[in-house]
Amino acid sequence: MPTDLRGHLDGLLLAALAEAPGHGYELSRRLTHRSGGALAVNEGSLYPALHRLERGGLAASSWAVIDGRKRRVYRLTPAGRRTLEQSRREWRVFSAAVDRVLG
Amino acid sequence: MTIDGCLAALGDALRVRGVARRRFLRECRDHLVDAAADRGEAEAVRAFGPPDEIAAAFDAEIAARRGIRSTVLSAAGVAATGASTLALVHSADPGTTAPTVWAIVFFVAAQIAAVSAGLAVLQALATRRLEAAPAGAALLARRNGCGLLAAGLTMFAAGAALPGHGSASILLAGPLLVCAAAIAVLRAGALARRLPGSHAVAVRSPLDDLRQLTSLPLPSLAPDRLLVITVCVAGAAAFARDLGEDGRVGQAAVVAAIEAAAVAGCWVALGPALGLRRR
Repeated sequence: MPTDLRGHLDGLLLAALAEAPGHGYELSRRLTHRSGGALAVNEGSLYPALHRLERGGLAASSWAVIDGRKRRVYRLTPAGRRTLEQSRREWRVFSAAVDRVLG
Repeated sequence: MTIDGCLAALGDALRVRGVARRRFLRECRDHLVDAAADRGEAEAVRAFGPPDEIAAAFDAEIAARRGIRSTVLSAAGVAATGASTLALVHSADPGTTAPTVWAIVFFVAAQIAAVSAGLAVLQALATRRLEAAPAGAALLARRNGCGLLAAGLTMFAAGAALPGHGSASILLAGPLLVCAAAIAVLRAGALARRLPGSHAVAVRSPLDDLRQLTSLPLPSLAPDRLLVITVCVAGAAAFARDLGEDGRVGQAAVVAAIEAAAVAGCWVALGPALGLRRR
């Protein structure tokens, strides 16, 4: 069953961007592929989140021609990379704690 | 629903206008076209999600972005107006004494400008990477607007009280930047006020923002306790400053009492608008 992503979307998008720059649909496919389809999100909600990452200086974007079509491509900034590392550390601590409780 | 129907519903629900709207709709169209090629139109539209929810999230995001940009401009406007006001004061005719009323307006407005701008900058820094509620964006616009108005009033009071001959370009730099910032603030505030939830009460302590920014173990204080501490600090600072300048304890105590009363009065009058206390 797909899991609700609200609250984790920014971190997951940063992880998808760390793989390579990409446009919104490409990032959506990466999230689905890397989670084996277990993580579900309304795909339209990726765009407000991507704009939020851009506002915070964690991602940058520009128009690029891909397969003959003009697309808005997002890429990770150095600040985004640092935030991703921090998110990974925090998630490991959190998940380890939950693992210990659940057994 | 078809792709065109989904995009039309999205466009109807969006409140933001201009470049941001066009870019967002273009990105959504590209996404839906790609998804439809992979999975079919009906599944692409279903997976995209409810247009009204997505539009609301995007509107809130743009309101937050405009709020932060206008805060940068406002802080620069308040600082530049401060510099222009200092230039005005230094270019006053020698021997001119400011009337008491204008002197009071000058000092009170200057402090309101500094406090409002400080609150707005703290809020903008603390929320620059977070999801922003429309009420928060509306509060940021109010703090910026209050800072700009007070900065303008400060300079007006100085100009009215102290006639002189200063450099026009230096004197006009501050007010011009304030005008540019005011346009940005009005635009950000207008969008924020159109969003659902923007009229909810927003109380935001500067200590909470400072704690988030610095990770210092600052306490969470109720508004009335924050007022007491602010009044004590402002009164003590006024006492120390006046004692250092004049050397008379009695007069310094009177100045400290006036400062404390002014801070308390401003808190009562402007506290709800600046998000420091509930109405």
